[in-house]
Amino acid sequence: MSAHTFNRRDFLGTLGTGLGGIAMASLMQREAFAAVPPPHLPKARRVIQLFMTGGASQCDLFDYKPQLIARHGQKFDPGAGVRVEATVSVPGALMKSPFEWAQHGQCGRWVSSALPHLARHVDDMAFLMAMQSLSNVHGPASYLQTSGFQLPGFPCAGAWVSYALGSLAENVPAFVALPDVRGLPYNGRSAFTSGFLPANHQGTVINASAAQPMTHLQPPAGATHITPASRAEGLALLRDMNAAHAAERPDDSRLTARIESYELAARLQLSAPELLDLKGETDATKRLYGLDQAETSDFGKRCLLARRMLERGVRFVQVWSGHGGGGDNWDNHADIPKELSAAARKMDQPAAALLMDLKARGLLDDTLLVWTTEFGRMPFTQGNSLGRDHNGGTFVSWFAGAGVKPGVALGKSDEWSWKAVEDVTTNHDFHATILHLLGIPHEKLTFYHNGINRRLTDVHGEVIRGLLREG
Amino acid sequence: MGTLKKPFNTRAALAVTGILAGALCTRAAIPAKPPDTAPAVARGGMSHWSLSPLVKPAVPVVGPASNPIDAFIRARLVEKQLAPSPEADPRTLLRRLSYDLTGLPPTPEEMDAFARASLEPDRAREAYAAQVDRLLASPRQGEHWARHWLDVANYADTHGNDHDYARPNAWPYRDYVIRSFNDDKPYARFVQEQIAGDALFPDDPQATVALGFLAAGPWDHTLMVTVREDTVDHRSAQNLDRDGMVSATMGTFQSLTVHCARCHNHKFDPITQREYYGLQAVFAGVDRANRPFDTDAGTHAKRRRLLAEQRALEQGDGPTLARLESPEARQKVAAWESAWSRREELWSPFDIISIVSTGGTSLTRQPDGSWFANGKRPDRDTYVITAHRRAGRLGAVRLEVLPDERLPQHGPGRWDNGNFHLSEFRAFAARPGAGENATPLVFARAAADYDEGPAISAAQAIDGKNDTQWGVHPRYGEPHEAVFEVKDPVVFPEDTTFTVILEFQDGVPGHGIGRFRLSAGDTTPDLAVVKPLSPDLSTLLRVPGAQRTSAQCRELALAVLKAENQHALADLPAPQSVYAVTRDFPPDGDNFKPSPQPRPIHLLVRGELAKPGELIGPGTLGCLPGMPRELEIADPSDESARRAALALWLTDGRNVLTWRSIVNRVWHHHFGRGLCDTPNDFGKMGGTPSHPELLDWLAVWFRDEAHGSLKALHRLIVTSETWKQTTLARQGAATDSDNRLLWRQNRPRLSGEQVRDTILALSGQLDPTMGGPPVVQFISHGDATFMSGGNPAFLDYEHFDPDAPAARRRAIYRFLFRTVPDPFMDSLDCPDAGVPTPVRGVSTTAVQAFAMLNDAFLIRQCGHLAARLAAPDVAPETQADLAFRHILLRDARPDERVRFAAYIKVHGLANACQLLLNGNEFLYLD
Repeated sequence: MSAHTFNRRDFLGTLGTGLGGIAMASLMQREAFAAVPPPHLPKARRVIQLFMTGGASQCDLFDYKPQLIARHGQKFDPGAGVRVEATVSVPGALMKSPFEWAQHGQCGRWVSSALPHLARHVDDMAFLMAMQSLSNVHGPASYLQTSGFQLPGFPCAGAWVSYALGSLAENVPAFVALPDVRGLPYNGRSAFTSGFLPANHQGTVINASAAQPMTHLQPPAGATHITPASRAEGLALLRDMNAAHAAERPDDSRLTARIESYELAARLQLSAPELLDLKGETDATKRLYGLDQAETSDFGKRCLLARRMLERGVRFVQVWSGHGGGGDNWDNHADIPKELSAAARKMDQPAAALLMDLKARGLLDDTLLVWTTEFGRMPFTQGNSLGRDHNGGTFVSWFAGAGVKPGVALGKSDEWSWKAVEDVTTNHDFHATILHLLGIPHEKLTFYHNGINRRLTDVHGEVIRGLLREG
Repeated sequence: MGTLKKPFNTRAALAVTGILAGALCTRAAIPAKPPDTAPAVARGGMSHWSLSPLVKPAVPVVGPASNPIDAFIRARLVEKQLAPSPEADPRTLLRRLSYDLTGLPPTPEEMDAFARASLEPDRAREAYAAQVDRLLASPRQGEHWARHWLDVANYADTHGNDHDYARPNAWPYRDYVIRSFNDDKPYARFVQEQIAGDALFPDDPQATVALGFLAAGPWDHTLMVTVREDTVDHRSAQNLDRDGMVSATMGTFQSLTVHCARCHNHKFDPITQREYYGLQAVFAGVDRANRPFDTDAGTHAKRRRLLAEQRALEQGDGPTLARLESPEARQKVAAWESAWSRREELWSPFDIISIVSTGGTSLTRQPDGSWFANGKRPDRDTYVITAHRRAGRLGAVRLEVLPDERLPQHGPGRWDNGNFHLSEFRAFAARPGAGENATPLVFARAAADYDEGPAISAAQAIDGKNDTQWGVHPRYGEPHEAVFEVKDPVVFPEDTTFTVILEFQDGVPGHGIGRFRLSAGDTTPDLAVVKPLSPDLSTLLRVPGAQRTSAQCRELALAVLKAENQHALADLPAPQSVYAVTRDFPPDGDNFKPSPQPRPIHLLVRGELAKPGELIGPGTLGCLPGMPRELEIADPSDESARRAALALWLTDGRNVLTWRSIVNRVWHHHFGRGLCDTPNDFGKMGGTPSHPELLDWLAVWFRDEAHGSLKALHRLIVTSETWKQTTLARQGAATDSDNRLLWRQNRPRLSGEQVRDTILALSGQLDPTMGGPPVVQFISHGDATFMSGGNPAFLDYEHFDPDAPAARRRAIYRFLFRTVPDPFMDSLDCPDAGVPTPVRGVSTTAVQAFAMLNDAFLIRQCGHLAARLAAPDVAPETQADLAFRHILLRDARPDERVRFAAYIKVHGLANACQLLLNGNEFLYLD
């Protein structure tokens, strides 16, 4: 630890947000003054996480295996006595990817033809080629990726970051979740929960395509007796009434905090329409994100909103690709050629656009972009289908942006892309690295709950040094 | 800018120091060698405050305190040179008392009467005592305090996790808790019932309902049901399922964090890993599933007797064998056989006039009076049969489904495997001259010789639902029959036209019946006789009575007695179900099934399934003074005996934790903070009690003098001077700003439930109905068939009709959807039931301000409230007065009256009411 004693306030100050940000943060987060001693300066100020719901197939997207192509159609035999454990099915024959493989960029990363847009940016990305999950099942595996634990009730990474750092501006929340238009991911709103952390750290859910994107942002349409004037005068009356009440109880800062919370709400209400309104974006930008095509418009719109939020001070944005229901996500049990291409087409262009756009605007210098999923898929078919069952044994995630060494690929799976074998990384390492890039030592960010000082990384996690840019 | 202090959540502050202290559970600190090498006591267990022997301390003598609570509190105040604060004024006091005990405010009339009585010194005390009595006797009391308990029990109406299916039978446990609190059930009994009510109180069906406690937390449906039984994921889920039961039990009743000893000995408390797995073994025989129970004690007793008889018949023990050869059995067999021989006489064929298939199947008459289906095999089909029969009473209709060589697998169904799915069986009768006006025949019961399963039986063909059905898989190529008993039979004249409808509309394609025959019976048949025989028994019956061997006689007698027993069981009113723990439930698929014997529990090295250590039998903790670590279990193969032993151990008078834990929990809710401020953690990482002597005095008093009466404990606390103090800070702010010494009362914010219930009470819309299935206060969109196990999708709380009957019930009766909570309640810190919540957070956020300003329910109720208070033409000043009087339970001050009247004049009373509800004076309790 550095000889300097930093507290969280100084720490925020170093980020150049000024006192306004702190005031806001202290309101958005009651337990604002968690003293986080920064052992190093943060590389990243904010994070966007793109989450592929369902388990994106590593061996059809990034994990090129000549052996899998050579042995296509053969029975899968990892060797004598090695048990092959599929989650819901009987293992079928090895299946090569139906997509074409090619090397891309200066770094020569293999990417399949399912992701033509992202393939052009591999030189900006750092790949974790040997991620491994403790669970092969959506619920617990998704929890591991969001909160670090297999069970419900634990705070998500975004909530921890909100707790540690708050947001970067006074009129936006610190943690925003943008679920797929088709529904919430596995585990519902628990995918953005603050768990046992104070409620104000939970992800603010924005339903980008809904008439009212944020719950309770406006009065319901039918309430005609509520007018701008009734609100303005009412809030003035309320403030005076609360101020008089608080004046008689000077010891109780919660009472003044509640007065401030109405002022913050008023600011949020003013800033939200502008935040969500894409009118100011050029047609070229909209086309870049695919807003003009039916397939890409939902994910594209949410990627674009994510960028707008970062610009306005949101600290952690999650953009979900796919919902938790069967089909229409990355859980391609039945037909990889059909289901995976559909999921990939919806995500590919907008994600690439986001990367390009962040870069063009200089935001990528201090923004971390993370692409992840809950687990991978099997190199063999699910029974006699063209689909693949869940595989926690190996999967791929990638990082780009602030503090990340571009163009590298860490770790290896075995010859079939069945199990990670070299430089294996877990969700704990993944989270430790995100926190590290934000300037937070993952062992030090704790919160007492039910007998234990809990961490995002449980009792595990190592920062993935190979992923970090030096200097 | 506010540095927000949190008088009610000092743990958060500790968390900050936790950051500096570094992580406690670090990888380096995990012992590499096998656990359980250090005995608990050697690690200093007994010296910790919560594990020290429980001795009733002498009450300090301090001034005129008549309530021992005040004596203990004041003794400490004197030490610190602090004085107690004066009693709050009557209006403040009654509002506080009413919310504290019932979660609802007093009415303005109750408030006025109490304020008047309090003016007279000789009546004041009596008036207050009367209010305490009134509120403790109110059924609202149980509803309010049950919510506190359910926070700890982690109750919700869905399983949680990825698909978050509904748990439609969770609510009887919620009602059990409410009833227990209203009935002031002694605490020891309350604890015992929730761990082993079935074993300890077998005559009381409600004691079984109490087992809902052990099943109340989240449960992973995917891992337990969908994922293959032989996978690591599935076995890990079973392990965590038991862990949930152990943590719930020990966290709730002992305030211990034993779950910290799953991977290694507890790092801070004297709990070994071995002891932890001993506790897992206590619950090794049960799973979470629906458990039937009878609401009526008589039915419950009868069912128990019949089930015992059933077991005896199944096992064929000595007395049963003797019974089979008794004259009684012989008589029964004879009577049954004679009824059986006359069986065919009961039935007469229908005279079929026409028969039509809506799906285009061709139906042709066969020589034996049956009908054969061929030609097109539609996905969905309905056979409509029009028929006559001779005049007479119609007691039952029989549907025979018959094999035929022309059908797949010889039928009787048309599907490739020989099966059919009869989704509904319906019949109508049109008397001569009735024209088109046919009356439906109501069927009381249905029985078949063979049902595919309990959920695919003849009864499903008369349940009015098209997605359930009767099928006969895998018994193909043989005849089957179903008998439908008519409810309240009447005589029909000869020319009555009967229409019988066979529906194959469950959506499973091509599942029509291939060959069938319909007949009718005059009498209401005895279903035990009517229900067709198994093939083995049919063969046996063809042997003439005199030629049967004694083994054959016994077999027949056994079949008759079993049928009689089954019939008697079927005759009982259908039991209700509670989601609880059980060792007896129908398997759900191949992976989730009951274990006939308790599952073997191994100590898991580092908590890893791949590293099973020694086998561990049921046991408990060794760190309690004077308490054995061993559980006395006569028959460890009886899983319920294991739980019963733990229940008795927990409620032993010598168990110091049980009594300390509950009085602290109750104190927490009366003061906003426990004497120990970590109600689920009395270990070294938990809080230290501010008044350890008072805690011990209360624990002993509660155990020995109050005999576990929670109402007596409430009364003792709320009649203390300490509790009645004002919240206004004065002299103590400098020395004890956190008010640990209770020189004043704390100022709680209303909970989400209190806010919602109050709004309904004020608007006059509150529906006081108690109990029953949870009320759904959201709209489900997309493919969220959430009640029958669909996929999660958006649940829309915002657009749910605020005037729907479901919106008007108390918040305790809401349907609690674990992964998609109600945003309004969520903003007011209602827990999402992911983990137990012994202490709720109290947050102040912009999201909360938005909810209080813009929530549709709140806004609509403000409209009702305004309409209830005054007509729009009433003077604005009067309207302002009424709003203050009802919402804040006081008169408006002159300046307030002027400003609100001006506001009301322009913007109306509904807006003004909402402002008052947004005010801190409403949301905080002085």
